[in-house]
Amino acid sequence: MKTNWMLFAGLSIFYAIITIVYWQVDGEALGITGLLLSAGLAGMIGFYVWFTQKRIGTTLPEDNTVAEIADGAGELGFFSPHSWWPLPTGMSAVATGLGLIIGWWFTLIAISALVICVIGWVTEYEKPLSSSQH
Amino acid sequence: MTTYAERPAITLPTQGLKSTRKGHAFVKWVTTTDHKRIGYMYLITTFAWFLIAGFLALLLRSELARPGLQFLSNEQYNQIFTMHGTIMLLLFATPLFVGFANVIMPLQIGAADVAFPRLNMLSYWLYLFSGIMVFAGFLTPGGAASFGWTAYAPLSSSEYSPGIGADLWIVGLAVGGIGTILGAVNFITTIFTMRAPGMTMFRMSIFSWNVLLTSILVLLAFPPLAVAFLGLESDRLYGTHLFDPANGGAMLWQHLFWFFGHPEVYILALPFFGIATEILPVFSRKPIFGYKGLIAATIAIAALSVSVWAHHMFASGQVLLPFFSFMTFLIGVPTGVKFFNWIGTMWRGHVTFETPMLWVMGFLVTFLFGGLTGIILASPPLDFAVSASYFVVAHFHYVLFGTVVFAMFAGFYFWWPKMTGRMLNERLGKIHFWTLFFGFHLTFLIQHWLGIKGFPRRYADYLPTDGFTFMNTVSTIGSFLLALSMIPFFINVWITRKSPLVNVDDPWGYGSSLEWATSCPPPRHNFTSMPRISSERPAFDLHHPHIKTEGH
Amino acid sequence: MSARNKRSLSLAAMVVPAVLLLTGCSKVSGLGFEEGITSVNDESLSLWQGAWIAAGVVGVITFILIIWPAIFHRLKKDSPEFPKQTQYNIPVEILYTVIPFVIVAALFVYTLQTQNVITAKTTGPAHEISVEGFQWSWQFGYSEAGPDALVTGTPAQPPTLYLPQGEKVRFTLNSNDVVHGFWIPAFMIQMQNLPGVTNKLEFTANKLGTYPGRCNILCGRNHTQMLFSVKVVTPSEYESYLETLKASTV
Repeated sequence: MKTNWMLFAGLSIFYAIITIVYWQVDGEALGITGLLLSAGLAGMIGFYVWFTQKRIGTTLPEDNTVAEIADGAGELGFFSPHSWWPLPTGMSAVATGLGLIIGWWFTLIAISALVICVIGWVTEYEKPLSSSQH
Repeated sequence: MTTYAERPAITLPTQGLKSTRKGHAFVKWVTTTDHKRIGYMYLITTFAWFLIAGFLALLLRSELARPGLQFLSNEQYNQIFTMHGTIMLLLFATPLFVGFANVIMPLQIGAADVAFPRLNMLSYWLYLFSGIMVFAGFLTPGGAASFGWTAYAPLSSSEYSPGIGADLWIVGLAVGGIGTILGAVNFITTIFTMRAPGMTMFRMSIFSWNVLLTSILVLLAFPPLAVAFLGLESDRLYGTHLFDPANGGAMLWQHLFWFFGHPEVYILALPFFGIATEILPVFSRKPIFGYKGLIAATIAIAALSVSVWAHHMFASGQVLLPFFSFMTFLIGVPTGVKFFNWIGTMWRGHVTFETPMLWVMGFLVTFLFGGLTGIILASPPLDFAVSASYFVVAHFHYVLFGTVVFAMFAGFYFWWPKMTGRMLNERLGKIHFWTLFFGFHLTFLIQHWLGIKGFPRRYADYLPTDGFTFMNTVSTIGSFLLALSMIPFFINVWITRKSPLVNVDDPWGYGSSLEWATSCPPPRHNFTSMPRISSERPAFDLHHPHIKTEGH
Repeated sequence: MSARNKRSLSLAAMVVPAVLLLTGCSKVSGLGFEEGITSVNDESLSLWQGAWIAAGVVGVITFILIIWPAIFHRLKKDSPEFPKQTQYNIPVEILYTVIPFVIVAALFVYTLQTQNVITAKTTGPAHEISVEGFQWSWQFGYSEAGPDALVTGTPAQPPTLYLPQGEKVRFTLNSNDVVHGFWIPAFMIQMQNLPGVTNKLEFTANKLGTYPGRCNILCGRNHTQMLFSVKVVTPSEYESYLETLKASTV
C-alpha cells in the first residue's frame, strides 16, 4: 500500500511544483488552473489511499513479499455473474447527451430512464423485502 | 475460490431464454460482466473502427495522389480527415487500451475480475453508442464534423460550423470520454485492491504498471476534454461566449484542448509500450532489463506529460516557448531510457523471431524514428519551419501507428492462444508483418520530405506546379499496400478458427507473467489454482523453477 | 582489362559520385532548406542541421543496438536453453539516462539562443506590414503607403506580399474570423493569425525571388485554396510598389 499512496503523493508534489514554476514564469491562467487541479486530484487520491492504509494497519497479503497464495484464501468478494442493467443505463446516458441536440423533451425521457436504470442497477442484488426480518 | 450468492428469490431474466443457441449467445455477451469477454468486445469493436478509419484514409490518399480534386469536394475532404483522426485516436486507439487492459491486467495481477464488473460493461456501452453517435454525423444533411479532430475555436462554433454533425461529434465524444474515465477508475481500483497474495506493486508486470499510469493520466486528461466539449456545445446551443474570440476564446480552446491532448498521446503510447515490454523477455528468454528503471521512467513520463501541452501551440505566438520546450526535451529522456531497457532485454539473450517478436521489432524501429522527429519538433525554431505541415503528419503517424498498431498486432499474436485457446498461423503472420511494414514506411517516410518542401496538413489538393505530385503518389501507393496487408490477417484469423487447441498454459514456453499460469483460455474467474508469487515472473518461476529470478 | 584501365575505372567510380554529391551538397546540407534566404534561415538552419546530425547519430547507434541482438544474439542450435538472466546493470542504466539528458540539454541551449533571436521584438526602424487572414484569403496592409494601402486576395487570385531585400519588416498578424496560419515554408517561419489577438513577427528577407506562402491552420472549406505569394524585391522596387499602392488609394 505504501507504494500506492507514495505514487500519488509524488505525482501531486511534482504537479504542485510545476504549477508554481509555471505561475512564476508568467504562464497563463488555464495552465496554472489545470496543473493546480491535477496536483489536487492526485493529492486527494493519495491522501485517501494513505488514510485507508493507515486504518487497515497490517500488511495485506498482496503487499507481503513472502506471502503464500493460501493467505488470500476465503471469499474474495461478490462478483456480479451477469447483468442486464449496464446496457439500458449506457443507452440512457448516451440518449441524455443526444437530448441536448434533439430537444429537452428527449432529455427528460432519457434522464427518467437513466434514473430508473441506476436504481435498478444499485438494487439488483438487494434482498427482497419479504425475506428480511423486522 | 470465489463465492457469490445467486439469490433464488429473484428470477434471473436469462432463465427463460435458453431456447435458441444464437439467442443464448447474444444474451450471454450482452449481459456479461466477465472482464475477458468485455475486453474481447472492445478489441472487436476497436478493430472495426480501425478498418473504417483506415478506409477513410484510403479516400484521402486517393484524392491526394494527383493534383486537382478528383472525386471529393473540399468540404467532404475536411469531414473525412476529421473523422479519420477522431476515430483513430478516440474510437480506436484509446478504447483499444481499455480492451487490452480488460483482457490481460486482471490475469496478470491474479485477480478474479475487475473491481466493478458492471461498471466495466457500462463503459463499453457508453463507448459503443457514443461512437455510433459521433459517426452518425455522416448521415446528417450537413455531413459530419469537418473542423479537424482538434476542433479549434472559433471554427468549431455554430457560426462557422453550423450543422448537427458537429453537435453529434462533440456530445458523442464527451459521453464516450465519461466511459473512458469510468474504465480508468475501475483499473486503478482493481490494481490497488485486488492483487493476489505476494503480488506486490514491484512484482507486478510492466503492462499492468503501464495500465495503472495510463489510467491516472486518463483521470487527469479526460475531465478537461469533457469541459472543453461541454463548453463548446454550450456556446453552440445556448449562445454562451466561453470560446468567443473577443474573450480570448481562440487561445483558451487551444490550451484546454491540448491540456487533454498531450496526456492523451501518452495514454495511447504507454499501454502499448507495456505490451512490447511483455513480449521482449519471452522471446529473449531473459528477464526484463532494468525493471525498476522502466517503472521510474514510466512514472516520469506520466508526470511530465501533463506539463508539455503547449508544444502543440508553439506557432501560436502566445505561449512560453522556453518552458514548454524545456519540458518537452526533458520528456524525451525517460522515453529514450525505455528504449535502452528494451534493447537490454534482448541483449545477450537467446532471441527467437516468432511473429509477436517481429511486431515488437517493427515497433522499436518505427517508434525510434518517430521519437527523433519529435525531438526536432520540440525546438520552437525548428517547429516554426515545419509545424502544421506533412512533417508533423509523418511524425505522429510514426509514433502513433508505430506504437499502437505494431504493438496491437504484437499483442494479438502473442495473446491469441490465451484468449481463444488456439495459435495464429506463423507464416501468414510474417507475411502480414512484412507487407504492413513496407506499406507503412512507403506511405509515411516520404511525408517528412513533403512537409519540409512546404505541403501543409489538412490540404485537400495542390497545384501541378507545386512539386508535390511525385511524393504524394508514392505515399498513396504505400497506403494501398498497407491496406492490403490486412488481408493475410483476416485469412489467418479465419483459417485458424478450428485449429487444434493448445491445451497448455503457456504455448510460447517462456511466459513470465501470471496469465501464463492459467489455462488457455482461462476459466470464468481466471484461476483455479495459482503458483506462489515471489518475483516479477511468477509463471516463469513455476515452469522453470531451476532458473533463479532475483526477487524484489 | 589492363591494370591501368582498372585503376582509372576505380578512380572514376570514386570521383564521379563524389563530384555529384558535392554539387548537390549545398542543397543536401540544408536538408530541405536553403541558407541566406532570410534572417530566420540564418539562425535556424544551423540548428536544423545540428539537430538532424544529433538525431542521425543517436538514431543510427540505437538502430544498430536494436538490430545487433536480432542478428548476433539469436538462439543458436547448440546453445543452452537459457542465457544469463541479467536483470539490471546500474552503471549502464545510469549511463543511458545521463547521456540522453546531456544531448537534450545541449539541444535546449542552442534552441534558446536561436529562439531568442528569431522571436525578438525590436522597436527600431522597420517596415510595418499587417497580415490579416480571413476565410479564405489574405489582406496585406502596407501602413507606410497609408492606411488604405490594402492588398486583398481571393482563393482564385492569391495575393502577393512584397518584401524589401535586406530590410527588416515588422508584421502584425490578425484574423477576421477563425484561426489561420501564416506560413512561408522557404523562410522557416510561421505564426498563427488569431481572432481577437494581435501577433507580432519580425524578420529580414535577404534573397530576391518569389516564394510560395500557405495558410496551414485548418480554417474551413477553402483552407486548401488560401495561398499567397511572397516576392522579395530590391528596396527601390519596394518603394515604387508602395508608391503605386499610395496612388491607387487616392
